[in-house]
Amino acid sequence: MTTFDAAVSAEDLTKRYGSGDAQVTALAGVTVAFGRGELTAIMGPSGSGKSTLMHCLAGLDTPTSGRVWLDGSGRDGAGRVELTGLRDDALTELRRDRMGFVFQAFNLLPTLTAWENITLPMDLAGRRADAAFADQVIDAVGLRDRLSHRPAQLSGGQQQRVACARALISRPDVIFADEPTGALDSRAGAEVLGFLRRSVDELHQTVVMVTHDPVAASYADRVLFLADGVIVDELREPSADRVLDRVRSLESVAHGGRVSAGAGA
Amino acid sequence: MLRAMLRDLRAHLGRVAMTLAAIVLGVAFVVATWVVSDSAAATVRGGAQRTDLAALAQARTGDAVIPAGTVARLGALPGVSRAEGVVEGYAALVGRDGKLGTTSWPATAGTDWDPSQRFDLVAGRGPQHAGEVALEQQAAEEAGLSVGDPARVLLGGDRSDTATVVGVFAYRPAGREFDPAVAYDADTATRLLRPEGAPDGATSGSVPGFARVELFGADEQAVAAAARAELGAGFTVDPGAALRQEQADNAAEDGDIIRKALLAFAAVALLAGVFVIANTFNMLVTQRTRQFALLRAVGARRGQVRRAVLAESVVLGLVGATLGVALGVGLGLLAMRLLPVAGTVAYAVSPWAILLGYAVGLLVTVVSAYGSARRAARVSPMAALRTDAAVPRRSLVLRTALGLVAVAAGVALVALTSPEELTEPKRIQAMAGAVLAWFGVLLMAPVLALGVLRPLARVLRRGPVTRIAMRNAVRDPRRTAATASALMIGLSLVCAFSTVGETMTADLTSSVRAAVPQDAVLLRAAAFGQLDDTVRAKAAAVPGLSALAAPRTGELLVLPPRGRNAEARFTGLEPAGLGTALRPTVTSGSGDLRRGVLLDARFAADTGLRVGDTVRLRFGTAGKDGAVAPVEVSATVAGLHEGSDLLPGVLIDEALVPDGVDGWGDSVYAVGPDHGALRNALEQAFAQRPDVVVQDREQLLDDLLQAFQLVLGLVYVLLGAAVVIAVFGVVNTLALSVLERTRELGVFRALGASRTLVRRTVRRESVVISLYGGLLGIGAGVLLGGVMQYVILANPVFEMAVPWPTAGVALAGMALVGVLAALWPARRAARADILAAIAAE
Repeated sequence: MTTFDAAVSAEDLTKRYGSGDAQVTALAGVTVAFGRGELTAIMGPSGSGKSTLMHCLAGLDTPTSGRVWLDGSGRDGAGRVELTGLRDDALTELRRDRMGFVFQAFNLLPTLTAWENITLPMDLAGRRADAAFADQVIDAVGLRDRLSHRPAQLSGGQQQRVACARALISRPDVIFADEPTGALDSRAGAEVLGFLRRSVDELHQTVVMVTHDPVAASYADRVLFLADGVIVDELREPSADRVLDRVRSLESVAHGGRVSAGAGA
Repeated sequence: MLRAMLRDLRAHLGRVAMTLAAIVLGVAFVVATWVVSDSAAATVRGGAQRTDLAALAQARTGDAVIPAGTVARLGALPGVSRAEGVVEGYAALVGRDGKLGTTSWPATAGTDWDPSQRFDLVAGRGPQHAGEVALEQQAAEEAGLSVGDPARVLLGGDRSDTATVVGVFAYRPAGREFDPAVAYDADTATRLLRPEGAPDGATSGSVPGFARVELFGADEQAVAAAARAELGAGFTVDPGAALRQEQADNAAEDGDIIRKALLAFAAVALLAGVFVIANTFNMLVTQRTRQFALLRAVGARRGQVRRAVLAESVVLGLVGATLGVALGVGLGLLAMRLLPVAGTVAYAVSPWAILLGYAVGLLVTVVSAYGSARRAARVSPMAALRTDAAVPRRSLVLRTALGLVAVAAGVALVALTSPEELTEPKRIQAMAGAVLAWFGVLLMAPVLALGVLRPLARVLRRGPVTRIAMRNAVRDPRRTAATASALMIGLSLVCAFSTVGETMTADLTSSVRAAVPQDAVLLRAAAFGQLDDTVRAKAAAVPGLSALAAPRTGELLVLPPRGRNAEARFTGLEPAGLGTALRPTVTSGSGDLRRGVLLDARFAADTGLRVGDTVRLRFGTAGKDGAVAPVEVSATVAGLHEGSDLLPGVLIDEALVPDGVDGWGDSVYAVGPDHGALRNALEQAFAQRPDVVVQDREQLLDDLLQAFQLVLGLVYVLLGAAVVIAVFGVVNTLALSVLERTRELGVFRALGASRTLVRRTVRRESVVISLYGGLLGIGAGVLLGGVMQYVILANPVFEMAVPWPTAGVALAGMALVGVLAALWPARRAARADILAAIAAE
């Protein structure tokens, strides 16, 4: 799996919550790599550990054991960095400069305008956004006439597109999207997914997306299926139907092994 | 229902802790006030009661004395077992450091020892013969003297005495009487003590008699009646019971004065508390919107929700009042312990104090929570179904309108008065206007917050920290304003008093500098004393002195040729000293006292007197039998002058002031060709006189201002309580805001904001709120102070002196308050769990 050019990779990642009898295993030794310039979807039933995996990959959560690397392959001087074992400040800086996030609940800062939200990561780093690239991004999300609006004045789809632009603006090594369409209707969801797809195709962005929606997963180059904390299957060039089939078959498998199902979604 | 709410309250003890702190502090202040004033009254009353005295006889005028023969006749009256004359005279105890004591009034600080209840021995024994002296305990303590030490006592003029301390006593006064500092045996007292200013050449035995006569006997009324019949109209005779009653009344009155003064400050602290409590309840209600909606959805009536929130406030009020009463009693007793009171201090905790504490705690909390309770009840059941549910927000329109009306009405009330005719009702009207306008500003605080902070937020765009902090501060202007208002209350009053103080200081400084030449050398009486003629004579004989003024002030009646008689003060001094050693500001006519008297220009305007008029001046002198005998002097008005503190009223040649007129003179001003030489010569001449202080003009000014600064300092400390309560309010607002924004903070962190950055953002928000409160407080305070000094001094409102240093310190202090208040909330915000914050609901 590590033979191709990976933007993010993990080795033997485990995450356990609690201790003793109450111990729950959310990740049970996951080794995975996410290809540069690819949109990878992580799917799985509730409690399969897909959110935990993403949080560990993004340095938001600390794994119990195992290692995670982020590889900028020398672009802008950003080399290969091991996330595990880094202190909070170093992780914070990595998130700020080399990762982007899109959350289910939009999570824009309500007091900032759309433009201020988009440039917040640059602001935090004390850098100015590249004006030409910013123009490109804003046109891509189609928010030019909404830039001075506050989040409360935007629709859900518009808010999520602001969040996408925010994730993209600093040209991160990887964008993590956690159920980006979860709170949107299907049209707004399709717009957001289309935008993520284009950022991969046109801007060669790397995107890792957690979702439980087969339609969303069908936008990906590759789909990973997670169950009970391990990767159980993988699909390339998916279509919604094929994803749905896999999900169904996985659920019937998971039904038998429910006793060991973990928490962590 | 109620149980659910109370459980909720208990589950969020952290949230209510700060509210509790505000209630506790407010209640504690009130209770401590009560305890201190009760204890002070009890201390004055207790331990000092004379129970042995049947009656006390004294002359109606203070200076008249009772001859020894009269005392003997009184002692022989039926029913009188014993009559004891009390000697009283000038005595000033010199401390180890060479300074005079300040615990007693030197004019009456010497007395004779007797075995009655007047003296309560604390150490040693009473004086028995010449060379022995007993000291009052506070005076002894201040002087640093104890039994066995030699004590030097000044006796007026150049005379002094040195005797060995044989005893220390506590004094029990009868009625209104100042405590003495030294007591000699009867013979020595008669020989040494004489009234202040008595001629230096007086020989032993020249003191004609006693200041008071104490009568002892079984039947108080009979003794008093017999003494009255014997003495006649020139004397008062009070039975012992009346004296004790008078003393108790005085003690209660003193306690009441303390109580009223302190309660005013407690009220200010409570007002700040109301803002803090109301604001917290508002936030608590906002946070629990969904809970209220759920309660409504499952069938709770509006009244039930409202009553539940009110019940919460009652519980909080009770808990806060209990803690506050305990703290207040503790603080009050501690204050009594720390107060510089010698002897036994009585501690009194009345049930009233406790009852009042509970009443105040409950009332303030419930009143503060009432608005929030109503708002909670208005939450629609539908809100339970929405994720972005919000408590219906009241519009600011009504509040702003009320504020505007209050400010306009207040300004109008002040504007309708003028400095030229500032009568008592006009003063009250102006003050009421100022207070009304002040409340108006308080009401307009949210709108002002928007008006000030929004543009500021727009200007300060640089950097995410400032930008987000400013935006958060204006997010809920009502909340920011309530937090800032609590700060404003204490701070504005500090600034108002400071403005008044600054203005008075400026006035005093300019009037002293105008009246006293820069190179003048001053002789001043130490410790509340006067300077007698010996001082003037000695000073006049000093080489290098060209002119000297020894003003003596008193009261007289001016009888103008037309119009009504008017009371006035007069200042008698030597004509050669006026214009040289002391300079009046002459506005018209001549400044020469040889040509006639100078009238205060304002007094002249009031009475219609002009330069050239002839007036008669009626002085009161002490006549026989204590009656006042008027003596009239005719004089021409030579000129008019601006009255000042050093040269008040009618300026007159001292030679024209009749003998026996009560006058007060505690300063002598001298000038000479060489300031340094003159000062040296005067210092040398008075080296052996601790009761005379040699000073320069600026030292006099410092002395005059010092008392003033002391009072202001005390006022600042008492107002500090309100500021402390307000600081709790800032902490509370921030802590609850941080709790509300957990999610936002998590996103902020996830996007790459370091913990330090989060902390800085919260801190900056806190500083912005505090500074806004500071600016509001300083602005409102200086204007309020302007009106206050106008009301007190009749200066135009805008001619106040702005206390820049105080304002600067206050603003810096507010910035510090902002930083300190943010310590805990900022830590909390920085610790926010990113995962919990961004997890989808």
